[in-house]
Order: sequence, then structure tokens, then C-alpha cells
Amino acid sequence: MLRMQYMWKYKALYFISIPGILFFLLFKYVPLFGTVIAFQNYNLFTGFKGSPWVGLAHFKRMFSHYDFLRILGNTLILGIYDMVFAFTAPIVLALLLNEVRLAFYKKIVQTIIYAPHFLSWVIVSGIFVGVLSPSSGVVNTIIGWFGMEPIYFLGEDSYIRTILVSSGLWRDIGWGTIIYLAALAGINPDLYEAAEMDGASRWRQTLAITLPALLPVITILFLLKIGDFLDYGFERVFVFQNPLNLQNSEILDTYIYKAGLKQMQYSYATAIGLFKSVVGLTLLSIANFMSKKATGESLY
Amino acid sequence: MKKILVRAMIMVLTLAVFTGCSSNNAGSNSKGSSGEKPATNAPGEEKAAEPVKFSISMRTLNVAYVEKNPDINKDKYVLELEKMTNSDLDIRLIPHNEYQDKMIQMFATNDIPDVVQGSGGISGPELAGAVENGVFLPLNDLLKEYGPDLLKFIPESAWERMTDAKTGNIYGIPEVLTNPSRRATWIRTDLLEKTGKEIPTTVEETLDVLRAFKELGVEQPFAGRQNFKYADMFFGAYDVLGYLNQFKVFPDGQVKPSFFDVENMKKAIGVYKTMHDEGLISKEFATIESTDFKSIVTSGKAGMWSMNANELPIWGAQLIQNVPDAKVALIPSPVGPDGKGGYAHYNPVTRSFYINAKAKDKAADIIKFFNWMVSEKAELFFSFGIEGEDYQVTNGEPVFEVPTDTAGTDKMRYLNYWLWMVQDTTYNKRVSELSDSGKQLVDAFDHMLAKEGRRGLEFDPRLDALIQYPDLNPKSDEMPPLILEHVLKMVYGREPIDGYEKLLEEYLSKGGKEIIEQATSRYNSGESAFE
Repeated sequence: MLRMQYMWKYKALYFISIPGILFFLLFKYVPLFGTVIAFQNYNLFTGFKGSPWVGLAHFKRMFSHYDFLRILGNTLILGIYDMVFAFTAPIVLALLLNEVRLAFYKKIVQTIIYAPHFLSWVIVSGIFVGVLSPSSGVVNTIIGWFGMEPIYFLGEDSYIRTILVSSGLWRDIGWGTIIYLAALAGINPDLYEAAEMDGASRWRQTLAITLPALLPVITILFLLKIGDFLDYGFERVFVFQNPLNLQNSEILDTYIYKAGLKQMQYSYATAIGLFKSVVGLTLLSIANFMSKKATGESLY
Repeated sequence: MKKILVRAMIMVLTLAVFTGCSSNNAGSNSKGSSGEKPATNAPGEEKAAEPVKFSISMRTLNVAYVEKNPDINKDKYVLELEKMTNSDLDIRLIPHNEYQDKMIQMFATNDIPDVVQGSGGISGPELAGAVENGVFLPLNDLLKEYGPDLLKFIPESAWERMTDAKTGNIYGIPEVLTNPSRRATWIRTDLLEKTGKEIPTTVEETLDVLRAFKELGVEQPFAGRQNFKYADMFFGAYDVLGYLNQFKVFPDGQVKPSFFDVENMKKAIGVYKTMHDEGLISKEFATIESTDFKSIVTSGKAGMWSMNANELPIWGAQLIQNVPDAKVALIPSPVGPDGKGGYAHYNPVTRSFYINAKAKDKAADIIKFFNWMVSEKAELFFSFGIEGEDYQVTNGEPVFEVPTDTAGTDKMRYLNYWLWMVQDTTYNKRVSELSDSGKQLVDAFDHMLAKEGRRGLEFDPRLDALIQYPDLNPKSDEMPPLILEHVLKMVYGREPIDGYEKLLEEYLSKGGKEIIEQATSRYNSGESAFE
């Protein structure tokens, strides 16, 4: 009863939230039911109502695929690399930028490092293919100065992961600093002044004030990132792939595209996608739980 | 006061949401109804002037004129075509590069136009199984009654691709390629003269010429391309192309992909490895895409390459623009140990047109529309354009000047290849006869290409096992991913060529066995196997 009264009191707020709730129901939750096709042999023309149920056949097929472990391994390794480098780099960069005192210079640097984020992966891959080309690329020209043979970077398994991670870093590092810089701007300057009075060095101030202040933001972003740990992104890998580096660059996303969508095996593709999401959700829950215990910060 | 403001806000917001939704609905409704049947003549009624109105989906095929056109339905030539055929077209363009995705979207949302353009047989992947699910109209009787010229013009082999083997029903009208040997070997004859060598005929002679090109300082004696696409000349010479239509009966009676010919395959890989090691092909050909390939050729960096023969007038002109002394010729492809060579033959059906089962009442008029496509009047119109505007008639003969500028060639391409829906697309006879490069082209097609090329067995619909094992599924002009990956590694020296037998074992163990079993039994039962 009390609750009803409470709701009545704030009826305007409840009312105003209806469009939002409808939006999420309609565009985020209803499509979730589409995943039932992972358990069917989906037929485009009869829809999910007319398609035969096949149980876990598509999952079995996925797990028994001879390359499944390799593809999952590639996905995990790339995910870990990305976590280690692409996640930490913007933090370091934001801290460094924060130390720049010349506002004008800082602005210029920021603008320049944001810019690549607006390039599509197709263009980024074009740039990297050009830069790394053994015949005309800058990198190989430099290698040539030291009297070494040119290296066909994109044609070798051993380099592809480095290329994938570093191209991602180059493209998104500046963009990633935005939130950190905003958080840094919110730190009370009094704290620094007080620390300076106490004789703390710049390095000491960073360790004792800046980093702790950033920690909540870092934790939240880390949790968000871990949620789509296996979601390395289809396009950024696909544009760099060729048969010579496929051994190390085939990931779940590209496999879904090739085996599932290109050959129209929607049910199979959905099964792999579902598997990916479940792994992501599990990882997120574990990380969230641990973070709540350890730092008190959590998503939910 | 505050409360009133909040309520007003809410009202405005909800209204906005509702109007937003409803206007959307209205939009999609009107779209839906326009696709539905307009008043058509009842059968038996005297043919009125009322044009038949139908919608048709068409792939843009990278034709610049179409892609740059703000509204193709208002284009002068489309209007003229409508006038000539007493029809009212509603052309829906499908972007070339997203063709398959967009087609499937179209079927999934059930927003299917009256006529759907496909691009091969009735089981092409872009049709997503629409034929089996009864989306299209069987045309046998309609064709007999309203499309006699089509039946006469289109060869039996093409109709076969449009026929469901189980029921004998014809489901589409094909556009045909009577000479399926379309790719050709191109050479820079000006460079060849400098080397003092003859036109090469065998693999060995070709390598010699390439080496001589290298000595001349040609950057890429042979222009390679990713996945051996348009660079498969030597696989063709040894007859080991391994594509979708390259299954073969082996001496043991089994039907296998042609790359199971171990001896020849090893030799072919060896040739590419030699070219790679000696720098006769770009060391980075594994990452060269189609646009790079074209610019390598047209900027004069290549000495020899493979390309569709019908591109000769255009690529040739662009090359000469960049390198004024350049001369190109189409030459017979190098032959392998069996004395033959060339590239994989194309599907005899290039485009095909299906009629939506829901457009049954307009089907007769639609067939008449396509029947007109093979008439002499149509040939004149699609070859030259509008009389009095694009060409003149003097003494009963059409007089036409072949355009040389980009706008002019774009327009010709549009009329000759794109808007002319049903024809023999090998080359345009009327236009080709009017220029030197055109004449060379006709000569090459009729006297050289017609005699070369590799053709094997093809299964349509595709073998179930090929769908089940995507890694073993070849494309129309690419080897299966598994084979391609290792062959490339052998060419690049990462794996020994002697490991090829092992690769075949891997292929067999990963599902290849099933493929061969299915192929053999399908071939023996004669079920939808095309030669």
C-alpha cells in the first residue's frame, strides 16, 4: 500500500520513464528472444515459428570443430593483449597529459591524438598495410638502413597480433583518455596544494592523490571492458586478415562472419554468438564480485 | 506552477513519440501498397494503353552511371525503355558490394519486389533458398505463351540452370554468357618487343619472358593478387584450379576437386614459388587487393597479367593515358603438360530474373517485357541509345560514334551491360565492330578464348558437405580456405611443397571425405551435376 502511495506521489517521474522502458523492452529485450534460433535449423522463409528444433546440435558442432580451440585461443590471447596494453595506455597518457602545464600545447596534442579514432578500420588497415609494406613502407625503409632484409609483416603469423593490438592502440588511445582527463579535472586542487606544502614531489603527488582519485573510474571502465572480453571486434581483425596470417588472427567474430553469415548458417552463427555472450557475462560477474570485495567499487 | 510545466513537458514528449511512430507507420504502409498490384487488365480484355507497373531489384554492378545517378527511375533511358515496352518500372538498386547481405535482408523482411534479379543458378546463395520455399513463380507455361523469342534465343544449358531438377519447373529468365571463357592473358607487347622474345606459349617460355621483363626493370613482371584471384594462370595451365566448378572424375572413379591431382598441383605451386623467389611476382601479392591490382596494371608497372577480356577497351585506354608508348594484347594462355591452358570457365548465366509468386497477375506482361529484350529494336537501343539523340539513321543504317571520354564510356557501359537485362553478354557486337580495340576483343573471344579455359563438374545446388565445412568450401574463383592457406605458405617458403600430400590428408580428415563421397554419388546418379 505504502509503495502505491509512493508511486502515486512520483507519478510524473514514473510516467516520464515509460518511453525509455519501452525502448529497452522493444529494442534490447525483445530481440533477445531471437537467440532461440541457436537451437533451431533456422529457415528464413518460415521464421522461427516454422523452423525445426535441433536442441544443442549447433553448440556440439561448434565445440567439436577441429579449429575451435585455436580460434577461442586466438580470441582470448588478443583479448588479454588488448586488456594489458590498450586498456592501460590511455591511463598513462592521461596522466602524462595532466602534467603538461602549457594549456595551448596540451590542446594541440589532444586534438592530434583524438583524430585517428574517427578513421574507419578499413582506412586504418590501408595505412598500416602501406606503412608496413616490404617494398614501399617506412618501417622497412628504416630496417633497410641497418642493412637488414625487408620483412613482410602482414604475411607472417608471428607479427599479426602485434599489428592488431598496436593499430588499435594508435587509433583509440587518444579517445580513451577523454574520461580520465575529465576525472582528473574533477580533483580538488586543494589536495595538491596541501601535498606541496608538505613537501611531496610531483611523482609522490601522482601516486598519492591522482591515482587514487582515478581508481573508481578505472575500475568501472575495466568492468565494462571485461564484459565484452571476447568481443574483440570483427572489422578491425577482418581487414588485416589474409591466408598467411590466418593461423593467429582467426577469432570468434571473424569465424562467425565467414562460417555463419557468409554461408547463411544463421543458427550456427547465433550459437557461437550466444556462447560468446555467456562467457562475457560470466567474466563480468566474477570481476564485479571480486572488485566489490577488494575495492568496494562495482557496476551493480 | 512547476507541476503544470512538468505535465506540459510530459504531454509534449508523449505526443512527439506517438507522432514519430505513426508517421513511420504511414511511410512503410504507403511503400507496401505501392508494391502491390495496381489495376491490371483482366485476361481476354483488349490490350489497353495502360502500362504494366512492376518493381524490380537490380544489383548496381559497380556501374558508375547507375551509382552516381540521383534517381535511376527518372533516368532518360529508363523512361525511354518504359515507353518502348509499355511498362512502368520501379527499379530498386542493390549496392554491388553488399549484394548478398541486402538480398537476404530483403527476403527476411519479406519486402520482395515483383521481379528479383539473381546472379547465377536458382540455388545461388543470394537467393537464400527462396526457390525451394515457393517465393517465385514457375514460368514454363508463361514462357511458352508469352516468351517464344526468349526460348529461342537462350541456349538450353542456361535454361538448365534455371530449372529445378526435381519438378522440371523453370523459375527464372537468364542472361547468358555464350562464351564462358572470359578471362584472358594480357601482355605488354611493347615490352615484349624490347626483350626480343616471342609470344610465350608454354609455362617455361612464360617464365623466360617474365625473367626478361625483370631484367628490363619491369617492377612486377607478373601482376599477382590476393588469394591468386586473377593470378591463377599457372594453376589453369596445370588444370588444378580447384574452384566450385572444377570437380573431376579421377582414375579411381571418384569425383574430387581438381587439386587432388598431386603431381600437377605440386608443379603449379613450384612455378609460383620460383616466381616469388626470383621476384617475378610482387613479394607482397598476398595483400594486393583489386584496386591496387588495377592501378599496378594501368600505371604500367606490370608486364603480364590476367583480366577479363571484355575490359580491354577500358583498361587499355587508361594504361595508354599513363604510359603513352604502352601496347597491350590478349594472347593465348600458357599451356601445361596436357597442351591446354586458360582459366576457369564462368557460369553460363550471369544474371537471372525471377518473378514473385505474388505478382502472378502481372506475370504475362513481365514475360513480354523480357521477351522484348532480345528483339532487334532492343539491340539497337541498348547498343547505341536513343535514335536522333545518341545516333542518327542515314540510308537506313545507324551511324554511331564510339565515345572516348569517361562520361561517354560510362554511359555505354550502363546501356550495354546494365540496363540490357537479357542478352548475350560476351561482348556488344554492334559497338565492338566500330573501334580497333573492340575488333581485337571480338577476335580474341571468337578465335582464341573460345578454345581455351578449364571446365570441370559443378553441383548446383551445392553439396551439403560443402556447406557443412566452410573451410573446405571453394568459391567460384578461389580455392577452399584450407587449401589456399597452405598453398600460399608453400609459395612463400614457410612450408615445404613436399608436404602437399599431408595437406590432402588433412583435407580428407576434416570433412573432405564426405565431400568426395557426396560428389561421387551425385555424379553417378546424374543429379544436378553440370559439366
